[in-house]
Amino acid sequence: MTTIDTSKPIPDPAGPAEDNYLTHSSGIMSWLGTLDHKRIGVMYLVSILSAFFVAGMFALLIRTELMMPGEDFLTQDQYNIMFTLHGAIMVFLVIIPSVPASLGNFVLPIMLGAKDVAFPRLNLMSYYLWVIGAIFAVSSIFLGGVDTGWTLYVPYSTRTDAAMGGIIPVATAVFILGFSSIFTGLNFIVTIHRLRPPGMTWFKMPLFLWSIYATGILQVMATPVIGITVVLLMIERTFGLGIFDPSLGGDPVLFQHFFWFYSHPAVYIMILPAMGIVSELIAVHSHRHIFGYRFIAFSSVAIAIFSFLVWGHHMFLSAQSPLINVVFSAITFSVAIPSAVKVFNWLATLYKGSISLNTPMLYGLSFIFMFGIGGLTGLHLGTLATDIHLHDTYFVVAHFHYVMMGSALIGMLGGLHHWWPKMTGRMYTEFWGRIACGLIFVGFNVTFFTQFVLGSLGMPRRYQDYTGPGWSETTTALYHKYHFVSTMGSYIMALGFFITAAYLIHSLFRGRKAPANPWGGRSLEWQCSSPPPHDNFSSAPHVGDCYDFSVLEWDEQEQGYHWRTDLKHEPGEA
Amino acid sequence: MIRSGSIFGMPEQASTVAPMVDLVYDVITWISIFFFVGIVGVMVYFMIKYRRRSHVAYTEGPTHNTPLEVTWTIIPLILVIGIFYVGLQGYVHMTTPPENAYEIQVTAQRWFWTFNYPNGASETDVLHVPVGKPVKLIMRSDDVIHSLFIPAFRVKQDVVPGRRTQLWFEATREGDFDLFCTEYCGQQHSQMVGRVMVYDPDEFEVIIEESARWITEVPDEKLHLAGTQFYNQCASCHTLDGSKLIAPSFKETHDLFASGGTRKLADGSTVIVDEAYIRNSIMNPLDDVVDTYRSSMPPGIGTRLGERKVEAMVRFLMRLDETAPDGQLLAITRQELTKASEEPEGE
Amino acid sequence: MTVTEPSTHDHPDFLQHHWDTPKQQFEAGKLGMWLFLATEVLLFGGLFVLYAVWRGNHPEMFKFGSQFLDTKLGAINTAVLILSSLTMAAAVTMAQRNKRGALMILLSLTLAGALTFLVIKYFEYSHKFHEGYYPGMKFYEPPGSGSLSWDNDPTPMVHGAAAAHATEAPSPLVAANFVMPDAEPTTIAPPVVAPAGVSQEALDALYDDIVAEHHDDHPVHPLQDPNRPDNAHMFFNIYFLMTGLHGIHVSAGVIMLTWLLVGASSIPDRWPQITRFFLLKRSFGADWFTPVDLGGLYWHIVDLIWIFLFPLFYLI
Repeated sequence: MTTIDTSKPIPDPAGPAEDNYLTHSSGIMSWLGTLDHKRIGVMYLVSILSAFFVAGMFALLIRTELMMPGEDFLTQDQYNIMFTLHGAIMVFLVIIPSVPASLGNFVLPIMLGAKDVAFPRLNLMSYYLWVIGAIFAVSSIFLGGVDTGWTLYVPYSTRTDAAMGGIIPVATAVFILGFSSIFTGLNFIVTIHRLRPPGMTWFKMPLFLWSIYATGILQVMATPVIGITVVLLMIERTFGLGIFDPSLGGDPVLFQHFFWFYSHPAVYIMILPAMGIVSELIAVHSHRHIFGYRFIAFSSVAIAIFSFLVWGHHMFLSAQSPLINVVFSAITFSVAIPSAVKVFNWLATLYKGSISLNTPMLYGLSFIFMFGIGGLTGLHLGTLATDIHLHDTYFVVAHFHYVMMGSALIGMLGGLHHWWPKMTGRMYTEFWGRIACGLIFVGFNVTFFTQFVLGSLGMPRRYQDYTGPGWSETTTALYHKYHFVSTMGSYIMALGFFITAAYLIHSLFRGRKAPANPWGGRSLEWQCSSPPPHDNFSSAPHVGDCYDFSVLEWDEQEQGYHWRTDLKHEPGEA
Repeated sequence: MIRSGSIFGMPEQASTVAPMVDLVYDVITWISIFFFVGIVGVMVYFMIKYRRRSHVAYTEGPTHNTPLEVTWTIIPLILVIGIFYVGLQGYVHMTTPPENAYEIQVTAQRWFWTFNYPNGASETDVLHVPVGKPVKLIMRSDDVIHSLFIPAFRVKQDVVPGRRTQLWFEATREGDFDLFCTEYCGQQHSQMVGRVMVYDPDEFEVIIEESARWITEVPDEKLHLAGTQFYNQCASCHTLDGSKLIAPSFKETHDLFASGGTRKLADGSTVIVDEAYIRNSIMNPLDDVVDTYRSSMPPGIGTRLGERKVEAMVRFLMRLDETAPDGQLLAITRQELTKASEEPEGE
Repeated sequence: MTVTEPSTHDHPDFLQHHWDTPKQQFEAGKLGMWLFLATEVLLFGGLFVLYAVWRGNHPEMFKFGSQFLDTKLGAINTAVLILSSLTMAAAVTMAQRNKRGALMILLSLTLAGALTFLVIKYFEYSHKFHEGYYPGMKFYEPPGSGSLSWDNDPTPMVHGAAAAHATEAPSPLVAANFVMPDAEPTTIAPPVVAPAGVSQEALDALYDDIVAEHHDDHPVHPLQDPNRPDNAHMFFNIYFLMTGLHGIHVSAGVIMLTWLLVGASSIPDRWPQITRFFLLKRSFGADWFTPVDLGGLYWHIVDLIWIFLFPLFYLI
């Protein structure tokens, strides 16, 4: 594929804007049986956001219960089930698939100028595996409940006189969702290898694709380990073999090794795509070529590789030997460096840019703020002397919410707002977008920053209460102050999310029609119509430096950007 | 609001390692604040200085600068190596107990702690330690993973079934401090809290002497009341008022005993609820598991309690109408149980 | 392919719309299959790590347990799988050369090998169960004493419970936090008590019968052997877990090979409207034989895993 005739402006070489992937065919079966990556991405998006809503409601219930000491409206068992499912649903059903499966599916092939992913049928199967996994996970509530925490530690989870009966459905759900994740990663790796257009070498790819690629490697290599782990868990619980239960000859710490060997790379599956989105947001919304492209690309791969070497830092207190603790702590610090480099590169991208403070950019900048806190508090936890005090307290809870929610989820929201016009063909109301972003930002920080202090003061995690027969009243009163403030923050945050849902849904019906390129992006997805046609491109898009915005100019009439009309030939031939 | 210690929210310092831990914490926090303020400051500055003023699609700016990129890779690397090293020093100290440490055996069960002292004393949920002397806890779990955490001492260690784990500390202040379980262990995980009581060493000796001795000083006619002092070891599973937890309520057992009734067991047989049955249920809990329940009672508890305490528990159950009238544990102190034997009746 | 023309539709029928050339599609399929095989390696990898850790900590348990495996049958299974890999590779070559008849014969031979493997495995497993070698606590029940009910109550181990870890004193830095488990449990296994209604003599006679039936080298049933190592059941845990998971993959391979046989035959050409639901719109030919190639890759890895399992369990 070579050049296109650029003498005419190009919002949409594919034909009339009315015939797009949404209108291409109709009826429920055209969606449920679709092989179109864009429709699959949309189905994933709706499903994932629904799961986010459910798990989010659990979180609100948890925070409401913890607002005051004493058992308010949740029994001990109900609370324990709630925090377990909040974690399990958020990790496996929401955050891990969030960017790759929804935004990645939609954007990846278009960014490559391709018509679809490498294996469209496998893609659809990944989606249905997600749905089946979700059904198993939710069914656990009715089949006895699960209260082990999302980490499923043995021997608690394998003893039928301890953990509740819903363990088997949850473990099955994790197994099935694992395959959904593996197939998505596999699909994306092959797509990036084989469906890049001529002219798009590895180092001409948008950074979002680098991050999706690194994530795909993690998904393919790490996920099978959690698969075998939950299978062993289920076999141990059902047949009592004695792999993990010491009273039957097994070793509980062995389970932790298996579990965290996957679950640490898993957190990088969550964060890498969000970082990729932030690279796009910062560059596009400040109209600046990304700074340090190669470092950012390499750092994504470095993070992916290093992530396999640090799982033991979740187990510093598990009775593994001090020697191994020292080794894991040392390697953990090295993982911090590539992430720090990315942040510096983003800041350097802002330098001398033309920074628009629209909603996607606000999310991108929020990411930098919150990832800063989340990443830096990782230092406290990676340091052995302090981790002894902080492990299994609210400090850890705060840290991982800052990176998983404050960074990964915020990055996803930024991407959602960035590609919303492309996906739906509509613009949302910028005013409400900024308000909601602000509420989420403030609410999040109030909720979780207080929890750093709460954890340092010693409040353990997974506690359904902080008063009772053995408790000192001073301690209860002290923790109460922080819990109260934290809960207030969670309500503010919830309000922000509800407003977001409202204006996004509103835009579907009343939003201004979106131009092909509302933000002035240079990567290929901005060269087709909003929404894209069924086949993405019927004539080949131009491939060049995807951060070279000099070829674009603003079109006042369509309120978007297009190719400069004074350019007769392709600048900087690829 | 925040007690003494670091300005960043650490609790009071009550052990020899606490100042060191707090120092490491503060160092990391200050470095973090420095970088965070730097990053966010630069970000906000750029947001204002380079805010969009027109719809120009493109701005010039550097796309890479290798010396700069190498610098900001190397400097953080050096800093994290420094932090690692500082943390490592502290860690080696915290995991190397002194030779002469005073050993206390700890047993973690759902959902209480038992502390056993070298002289045979045994306490539930209360850890007595002397100030100014190193103490080593040797811990075991009878069921699932627990974790013992004393925030004021900055020590924590998982208690893993199937092996022994240990932690050590040296308290620097007298007083009482929180002790938590920090590994989720089930329904009442958040109630598995205890207190650490730190005494002057002489006073400590007196306390544990008394703790070892008291059960032997309870006269036989009051032995059933002695069960009230360590009923809390059974409380997480056996209620006094008939409500069902994961084990038969003591009230139900007592009522059957008093009426000479029988009980159906899990294997289908029936057993008479007599004194022998009650004693055997403590000594060999797996023998006669009651129908609809699963056996969760840790075997070996009878041996650990010791003969006198087991006798006390058996009598406690047989006379539950006196020891826990109306489902409420009789409020009585050890002093009353042991002192009463010295005073003549009707004083 | 030039650009401004709309995409032409002289795509071969098997070429999906998002690919430019059949070669591109084929290469992508291969890459995808290799990635999937990587996940299989990692799936089994967890179990191999489990094997390595246990063997490192309890070599005596493995030496003891491997006596009870039938090396002859294991060797036959190994030969069968290797041969089936050979026929599979040949099948791919035949597909490339459009020799449909030879392709079908070779696929059938591969399938026969897979089924033979499963049949031999069935005999091995049922033999073990007959002799009472079960995974888990059921290992300690005298053979023939009950149904296949699994009791997962964690009754405390009669002996060896706390000995799940190293029994010699570790070096100070390595295990400052790890103190020896207490030595209450004995290391000599007590004799197994006869179930209700069976006399001890009858039980002993049963053991002797089982030993006499053996084709293996051990003179005494493990439950009779007071010198059996602690946690001897763990050997069977890992044996059944790994060979079981492998057997599941062989069974999946049987389904895959059957599917390939259908694709190699003329059935898809004759009834494409049915076979397309099984992703076979047409029969294989020299222009399109991707499933044979990819299926062959899967089969080779299944074989490869067994080539590791055989020596690890049967030979050492």
